[in-house]
Amino acid sequence: MTPVLEFKDIARAYRKGETVLDGVSFQMREGEVVGLLGRNGAGKTTLIRIAMGMLQPQRGEVLVFGLSPMLDPVEVKRRIGYVSEDQALPPRSTVAELIAFHRKLFATWDASLEKQLLDRFGLRPADKIHQLSKGQARQVALLCAICHRPELLILDEPAGGLYPAARREFLEASIQLLNREGSAILFSSHHMGDVERLGGRVILLDKGKVLLDRELDSLHEKFCVALAPAASAQSGSMERMPGCLRTRLVGEDVHAVFEGEPAQVAARLSEHFGAEEFRCSRVPLEDLFVELVGGSLHA
Amino acid sequence: MQIFVSAAGELSIYRQIMRQITEAIAGGRLKSGDRLPSHRDLAEQLVIAPLTVKKAYDELEAEGFIETQRGRGTFVSAQLPEPDPDANREHLKAAARNLLSQTYLAGLGMKEAIAALREAEQEMAQGRRVREAVSAKKEKP
Repeated sequence: MTPVLEFKDIARAYRKGETVLDGVSFQMREGEVVGLLGRNGAGKTTLIRIAMGMLQPQRGEVLVFGLSPMLDPVEVKRRIGYVSEDQALPPRSTVAELIAFHRKLFATWDASLEKQLLDRFGLRPADKIHQLSKGQARQVALLCAICHRPELLILDEPAGGLYPAARREFLEASIQLLNREGSAILFSSHHMGDVERLGGRVILLDKGKVLLDRELDSLHEKFCVALAPAASAQSGSMERMPGCLRTRLVGEDVHAVFEGEPAQVAARLSEHFGAEEFRCSRVPLEDLFVELVGGSLHA
Repeated sequence: MQIFVSAAGELSIYRQIMRQITEAIAGGRLKSGDRLPSHRDLAEQLVIAPLTVKKAYDELEAEGFIETQRGRGTFVSAQLPEPDPDANREHLKAAARNLLSQTYLAGLGMKEAIAALREAEQEMAQGRRVREAVSAKKEKP
């Protein structure tokens, strides 16, 4: 079956030769939920803009439903919904006008879903966009992005800048959409809680490449963090060990992310470095994320 | 029954759901034949992806704790699995490993871990006494 979304070796640099993406490849299947993670500047938004046809890659190819978003923009956008953190909505139009505009664009518009979301969010159709709070404006954007029942929903930091209650409502609506429609969702986020709730697959971007591409549940169960005094463990030689994803220096300790059971990893480390004691532990996702994209030894 | 999930937990969310349901069965709060919410309803209630709940239900079903009756819903199994001593020992060992990892990560040792276990045991015994006293009082009049 044609993948919903496919990135093939995408590269993109901005002015001054600053490389943002350097060979990113992955595919998304129908109905799959993918969380795109990475620190600020890791290239999440750039990658999403390339998928939307808003930016052209300098190398590689992107296909959405097997089509090019640059060459076939109408067909692609008909089947996509898109919400981003910095999306600008026309400030002078009313909620009703903006919804009417989208309703006319899409033949598959679901009026009952529209009404349901208006009620759920408590949006007043007569309000002008510039009168809305940040959270309400994002809700309007979400409504406009999902009422045509897209096969792929792309959310770029959808809950970014929202206070916790608004963020929760936004998540609730997204999960309801998953429940009802089984749409595929690609979302970027800084917020581990949101990532865990939406579930699915996690793709971690770092230095323009895919550092990690795993099911969320296996991240929890298959990785651990090893701690060792920097004096005894040469980080470089640790990073070259099989199963080591990343090392970083924290004070006088080296923290290393390893794939494997904590006890087995500790045993392998002891064998490799001699009798030294290594502490290995499973950690919550938030901590794992910090270990993976936090300051590196080899930055 | 009430299920809570925490996104900052040590366990993945589907494991948290599995654990809470098996603990509710073991503790008698869920009995054979009790109906569980549909995976979609539970997903909306917990604000997590429906596939995550489905994964928890599928694994619980494979282990024999719950059963799905087509068109009727999901229920606690009439015939619950016999406790498997080997699996229980494995579970206990895994929990112990977890406790030890936490201990080492906090820069503490075996002595502190055992002390923490004793302390937790006392707290739980205290809680049990309070509950028993309360229910004894209720029965008296």
